[in-house]
Amino acid sequence: MKVKVVTNILEANDRIADENRRIFQEAGVYVINMMSGPGAGKTSLLVRTIQEMQQKVKIGVIEGDIAGTDDAERIDKLGVPVVQINTGGGCHLDANMIREVLPDMPLKDLDLLIIENVGNLVCPAEFKVGEDIKVMLLSVAEGHDKPLKYPLMFQESSALLLNKIDLLPYIDVDMAKIRKDSLSLNPKLKMFEVSCKTGQGISEWAQWLETLVKK
Amino acid sequence: MHEVSIAQGLLDIVIENCRKQGYSGIESIKVKIGKAAGVVPDALLFAFESMKVDTIAEKATLIIDQVPISGFCNGCKSNFTVDDAYVICCPHCNSFSIRVDTGRELNVDEMEVV
Ligand SMILES: Nc1nc2c(ncn2[C@@H]2O[C@H](COP(=O)(O)OP(=O)(O)OP(=O)(O)O)[C@@H](O)[C@H]2O)c(=O)[nH]1
Ligand SMILES: [Mg+2]
Ligand SMILES: [Zn+2]
Repeated sequence: MKVKVVTNILEANDRIADENRRIFQEAGVYVINMMSGPGAGKTSLLVRTIQEMQQKVKIGVIEGDIAGTDDAERIDKLGVPVVQINTGGGCHLDANMIREVLPDMPLKDLDLLIIENVGNLVCPAEFKVGEDIKVMLLSVAEGHDKPLKYPLMFQESSALLLNKIDLLPYIDVDMAKIRKDSLSLNPKLKMFEVSCKTGQGISEWAQWLETLVKK
Repeated sequence: MHEVSIAQGLLDIVIENCRKQGYSGIESIKVKIGKAAGVVPDALLFAFESMKVDTIAEKATLIIDQVPISGFCNGCKSNFTVDDAYVICCPHCNSFSIRVDTGRELNVDEMEVV
């Protein structure tokens, strides 16, 4: 016998994400889901962003990694609340993982919660965790073909940080193509060129973020 | 990859459905997966095969119905369908003013039960 089911497979995740979102809204905290391929510079950007904004905005961090606590230790040194999630092989964070660590986050004391997703250009874009916006990084050394090869993340993100621009003199990358293809996929995408090594561009990004948080 | 989560999600849905309706086994499950949904069909099949073991879907075959990206162009007022995993402009007239209607599906459609 055939039975019609017609149910979205991610419905369970989306329901928990909506619950998380309600918790965030009640606590008055703005939430960013930060995504990129492995090593594009998410933790480095977190460090720079915290240093830039710490005086004005109360920030907390959830670190998602397959294994290890290195990233959380880098954040902990800055004196902001941080929780590490190890997915044990899972290539993305899902809403339930976030929900389980929320009791460990002093949400009421925070203005901004940044969730560093697992380094992966594909899967994290598919799973909402309850964030206000998704932000992605692409390091310029990854190449200008990435927007069209991994369109979903570019379409889902509100901002794209092109990181490691200090490396531009040493690599062949067509920045105009990255910008053009990214905007074609997502005309509303806000783009920043930054270097977490030199600090270039960080203040522009931090200002943009601050206006969102303070809204 | 996240095909494992997708396979788990779809198994949860069909098993829960069977439990509620009192079916004892599943012979096949049909899912609709959009080409822009970021899911690799072979990886999903592989994940499903390994995860269905010891469930009432143990004998089930997974049928993946891939849904292409399609939509409507405001420029030339026509419908379009593309083969790629993304669409930037109308394939007929290159207009950017398009509405995308299908391609992001990630649904369990139907199942055959006993
Ligand atoms: N030259 C240069 N190197 C950078 C820059 N930003 C980060 N790096 C280096 O890139 C490497 C990876 O940076 P991380 O911040 O750990 O990247 P990540 O995205 O958090 O990595 P995962 O969490 O493992 O996915 C480190 O060696 C950083 O020092 C930059 O702007 N310029
Ligand atoms: Mg990191
Ligand atoms: Zn057209």
